[in-house]
Amino acid sequence: MTMRNLSKYWAMLKMQLVNSLAYPSELVWRSLAIVIFLWIFAQLWRVTFATAGTTTIGGLSLHDTLWYLMLAETIELSRPRLSHSIAETVRDGSIAYLLNKPYDFLLYQMSTNLGESLFRMTLNTLFGGATVWLLVGPPPEARGWALTAIAVLGAWSINFCIGALIGLTAFLVEDVTPFEWIYQKMIFILGGMLIPLDFYPHWLQTISRALPFSYAMYGPARLFVTPDLTRFAGLLAGQVFWILILAGALVLVYQRGARRLAINGG
Amino acid sequence: MPAIEVDNLCKSFVTKHKPAGFLASLRALARPKTFTIEAVRNLTFEMEAGELLGFIGPNGAGKSTTIKILTGILFPSSGQAKVLGFVPWAERRQLAYHIGTVFGQRPQLWYHLPAMDTFALFGKIYEMDDRTTRQRISFLAEAFEINDLLETPVRKLSLGQRMRCEVAASLLHKPKLLLLDEPTLGLDVVAKQHIRDTIRRMNQLEGVGVLLTSHDAGDLEALCKRVIVINHGQIVYQDKVSALKRSFLTSKLVEVRYAEQIPVDFHIPGTETIKVAKERYGVKLRFDTRSTGVETVMAQLSAAGTLVDITVSDPPLEEVIRLIYTQGAGKDSEPSTT
Repeated sequence: MTMRNLSKYWAMLKMQLVNSLAYPSELVWRSLAIVIFLWIFAQLWRVTFATAGTTTIGGLSLHDTLWYLMLAETIELSRPRLSHSIAETVRDGSIAYLLNKPYDFLLYQMSTNLGESLFRMTLNTLFGGATVWLLVGPPPEARGWALTAIAVLGAWSINFCIGALIGLTAFLVEDVTPFEWIYQKMIFILGGMLIPLDFYPHWLQTISRALPFSYAMYGPARLFVTPDLTRFAGLLAGQVFWILILAGALVLVYQRGARRLAINGG
Repeated sequence: MPAIEVDNLCKSFVTKHKPAGFLASLRALARPKTFTIEAVRNLTFEMEAGELLGFIGPNGAGKSTTIKILTGILFPSSGQAKVLGFVPWAERRQLAYHIGTVFGQRPQLWYHLPAMDTFALFGKIYEMDDRTTRQRISFLAEAFEINDLLETPVRKLSLGQRMRCEVAASLLHKPKLLLLDEPTLGLDVVAKQHIRDTIRRMNQLEGVGVLLTSHDAGDLEALCKRVIVINHGQIVYQDKVSALKRSFLTSKLVEVRYAEQIPVDFHIPGTETIKVAKERYGVKLRFDTRSTGVETVMAQLSAAGTLVDITVSDPPLEEVIRLIYTQGAGKDSEPSTT
C-alpha cells in the first residue's frame, strides 16, 4: 500500500471522528448510558457477593468483577452498529456512492468504523472508569494497560469482521436485524458481557472459549483485571486465529455479494 | 475512442412476488413465487468523448440501472460495455478516478458536516495533492456559486443548494466523464436552470462528457445535443435533440385565465381547445408550432379578453414517448431492438 493510499484511509478515519463531534449533546447521553449500566451492575454484584457470603467468586473479587464489566461495557457500547449502517446504505441506495469511489469498500468501512470506535471508546473509558473508581476503588495495575489496549484492538477487529459479514447479508436479504440480534445475544451470554465466563459451569466455559465471541469481549476484559504475559499470549493467538478466518470469509462474501447486489430505487 | 461503448447489454433482477393480505403472505412464505424483471434489454449505443448525451424515459425505464452498470457498481446479466476503455464492473476502481457521478436523490456529501469537509476528503480519496485540491475547490465554488455554502452543514442546505454542491463534488477530480442520474429531480425552475447552465459551461470549459438521465424534457432541451429515449429497458429512439424537437416536441400547451367569463365554445383559430374551466374563466389549449406561430396564438388570446394569467408548457415526456410509438419512430434513427 502506497503512502497516498494510506493517507486516504487515514483521512476517512479523521472525517468520521469529526462527524462524531457534530452532536455534542448526543455524546453526553451516550456517556451517561455507561454510568447508569455500571451503577446497576455494581448494586447487583454487591448483593450477590453479600448473599454468597464470599469475597471471591470464580477467582474474581467484587473489585475485579466491576473493573471487568467496565471494560466489557466499554467494548460493547463503543461498537458502532456496522451491520445496520451497511444495510441502511443498501436500503436507501446510497451504497452506489460508496462503491464508485477509488478505494476498497471494506477498508473504507474499516477506517470509518475505527474512527467511530476510538471516539466512543475514549468517552466510555473516561466515564465508565470514573464511575467504577468511585464505586470500588482504583483500577488494576497500570502495567497491564498496554497489553489490554492491544487486546481491545484485536476485539475490535473481530467485531468489525462479524458486523461487516452481517451487514453484507443485506446484499442478499432485506432485513439484517435478526442476525444482528443473535450476534448481540451471543456477545452478551457467550462473550461474557453480562457475567464473566469464570462464573459459568465448566461445560459452558468450554463452549464459550471455543467461539470467537469470548475473544472479542471476555478475553480483553479478563486480561485487564489480571494482566500476565501467558494470558496475553494465549488471547492474542486466539484473536489472530479468528481474525484470519473471519477476514477471509469477509473478503470472500464481499466478492460474491458485489455480483449479486441489487440497488434499490430508480 | 468513444467515451462509452455499450453492446447488447442486459440486466435482469429476480424479485419475489409478494401478494397482499395475511393468508396470501403465508402461502407465499411456503411457496415463494419469483419473477424476473428485465431492467435493461439488449442495449447498444455509443457516446463520443465530450458529448452531451441525454438518456430519457419514464420512471422504471432502466435509465438508472444502465448508469449503475456503467459506473461498475452493478454487474450486467450479459453483454459488453466499455467506459473510457475500462470494463466498468471488472475495473471499477481504476475507472473511478476518471468519472464523476451524481445520483439525484441520494447524498454523497457527509450530511452532518459542511460540504468543504467532504470536498477535502474526496481530494484525498482521489489522491490529489492538497494545493491542487484547494485550487480546484475555489474554482468550482466560483463556477457553481457555492462559496457561501461550503462552511454550512449539508443538512442545513436547501435541495437546490445541496445539488449544486453535489455536482461540484463530482467534478472535483476533473473527471473526463460525468454520469448524472436525475440531477434536477425535485428542484424548482430557477435551481434547475442554474444546474443546467453550470454543467453546460463545465462541458465547454473542460470538455467533460456528460451522460444525463432525466424524465424532464426540459433538461434535455437545455443541455443535450443528442438523446436516447429508453422505455422498458430498450432504446425506442435516438437522434439529435433538434431532430426530436422538430418531429415530436412540436406542440405547446397553453393555460390561460381571463378576468371575465369566456363563451362555452371558446376557440382560437389554429388551436385545439382541450378544456374550458367550469366557471368559464380559464381555458386550456394545444397548438402545433409547425402550423401556428406562438406569436399568433398569443396575440389572439390577448385580443379575446383581459388576461390574468398565462402558462405555456411542453407536453410531458410520457406524451412524447407515446407519440414516438404511435408515429413509428426509428425510421431515421438507429434501429431499436424490438
